[in-house]
Amino acid sequence: MKKVAPAYLAVLLLACGTSCSKRQITTAEVVAAASSTLPPDPQHPAWNNAPEFSGPLLLQDLVEPRLMTPSTMLIRVRALTNGTDIAFRLQWLDATLDDAPGPGRFADGCAVQLPRSPADEPPAPQMGELGRPVEIIFWRADWQAAVNGRPDSIQSLYPNAAVDHYPFQAPSAEPGSAGQQAMARRYAPAEALGNRRAGPRKSPVEDLVAQGPGTLAPAAETRSDGRGIRSKDGWLVVLRRPLPSDFTPGKRTQVAFAVWQGSHGEAGARKMRTGWAPLLRQAGP
Amino acid sequence: MARVFNWQIGREMSYWYPESRPKRQFAAVFDINKCIACQTCTLACKTTWTSGRGQEYMLWNNVETKPYGFYPLSWDVKLLETLGSGQWRGSVYEGKTIFESAPAGERVLGWKPGSEDYAYPNTGEDDCVGRVDHGLSLSLPHLSWFFYLARICNHCTYPACLASCPRASIYKRQEDGIVLLDQGRCRGYQECVRACPYKKVFYNPMTGTSEKCIACYPKIEQGLQPQCFVNCIGKIRMAGWVSTSSQARPDNPIDYLVHVRKVALPLFPQFGLEPNVYYIPPMHVPMPFLRQMFGPGADHAVGVYRNASRDPDLAALLCLFGSTESAVERWRRDGETVTGTNDKGVAAVRVPVREPVFIRPAFDPKFRVIRTNCP
Repeated sequence: MKKVAPAYLAVLLLACGTSCSKRQITTAEVVAAASSTLPPDPQHPAWNNAPEFSGPLLLQDLVEPRLMTPSTMLIRVRALTNGTDIAFRLQWLDATLDDAPGPGRFADGCAVQLPRSPADEPPAPQMGELGRPVEIIFWRADWQAAVNGRPDSIQSLYPNAAVDHYPFQAPSAEPGSAGQQAMARRYAPAEALGNRRAGPRKSPVEDLVAQGPGTLAPAAETRSDGRGIRSKDGWLVVLRRPLPSDFTPGKRTQVAFAVWQGSHGEAGARKMRTGWAPLLRQAGP
Repeated sequence: MARVFNWQIGREMSYWYPESRPKRQFAAVFDINKCIACQTCTLACKTTWTSGRGQEYMLWNNVETKPYGFYPLSWDVKLLETLGSGQWRGSVYEGKTIFESAPAGERVLGWKPGSEDYAYPNTGEDDCVGRVDHGLSLSLPHLSWFFYLARICNHCTYPACLASCPRASIYKRQEDGIVLLDQGRCRGYQECVRACPYKKVFYNPMTGTSEKCIACYPKIEQGLQPQCFVNCIGKIRMAGWVSTSSQARPDNPIDYLVHVRKVALPLFPQFGLEPNVYYIPPMHVPMPFLRQMFGPGADHAVGVYRNASRDPDLAALLCLFGSTESAVERWRRDGETVTGTNDKGVAAVRVPVREPVFIRPAFDPKFRVIRTNCP
């Protein structure tokens, strides 16, 4: 593992304040350190065994709608692999917690993007290219709140919301019956089509594939998982997925990251993102 | 950006996609003079389409009081202020549309309403402009005035919602020009909510997608008018099909009102969307306000409408409003009777232009009593 001079280390510790962990080895590439465990807890000490990659975030200012004023400036990433899966811990500063959806409200989020195959020449970092897809793990703070147990009701988002009546809660509709559920679905067309953008869920992440801007689509199945926790000044999020095929020890592929700040109105293409960064699978046990 | 022709502003303009007009275009005429803001249309829509979770605040159809009513708050004045003033030279708009004034990085000049902007529909808005002083008498236009503006999605020829969606989740149907939002494809970015100047796309926090008026397309496909039209007790609405100005047919009721008589006008044509709900402007409102809201044709439209009782054809056609559930494709006046035919060419409704009048004398000679008007 690359060593850094003690003086440089001290400066780094001062620069990033108390939210940094004790071990401060920064690398120019993301190094997936071999580890017997991939802890879902972002604060687990095992994460200190991986070197840290600091990536400056850039405006998404290539395709409309663009983000024109910067928000999150830096993402810090550590990666671990157990030989079958790879896990990333993303860390960034965000002064406001945004995890409640609504009109004019946007949720905090982050994503990890990898080329489908670890080729020498990766596709365009901006969501891939036609015929050269990228795979994305997407995490959102409102999904995390749902996983953490926030009730699935309008009152949990707007405590003073008054609702007179939902037709599917009429006394004649037996709760849980097929007829009652069909009636509820009639007023939730996205849900009826299987497009679950909100509501109860088991995981705060979603697997996606893209072949260029505007082509983002759900993967055939979500094989990833994740967990995000709020630190005192931002987010710590662990995202775990199967290792890409052919990504053997000592080999390199590419990885890119994106961050959305809800309070800054960021969603979809309006985001801060990195370009491709090298991702090395560390050789060894 | 492509160059497209917008007949409502009399010129070519920039739009995100090339011109692609549907085979025929769903359209409507609302006669504002007859609206009493009973909100029956609002509830007809609400009970049919938006009674679900996350739709509590949604009003695909709403009726607001102008000039002080808005849903969501300040939807029109906010955009007018951002867009700035623009001049009309005759029927040509020389200012910029919301597509032409899109800032760097945007497809459309828009703004995002906050949750609180939807919190108070119709609260405290029935207020007159101006004072009602002692000795004031009624004249046209009124010195003190307000009016009711019923609004649905305009199913625009150049929808800003459609242009703004980075995922192309919104589409305009070739068969009827109805603008729909694909609920399987939407990811809830709210770009359409930001872009629609009429603010007729609504984000649903319980499904995480945006939703909008669908012009009751299952009814349209059966040759029927939408729910908010057939439930209107003031009979202010008529649904049908509008042509471009060069292809207008006088026997098409919408074409006749929009193109032939020019009595029905688009809402904020200067935004550049070619909206397809047309309004007969209120005749008691000062012209500067109407010109801003409906364009330079407002003076002519008010003049034609005020003369409607002496205008046999116009008076006849206005009688077909709210007279049938069928969409009226063609109309014809025969003397004192007006007929509307449906999409199969069959007479759907026949209405007398003037209702017969019976005068009941106050004195009943048979029973030798004075009648009262109480039942």
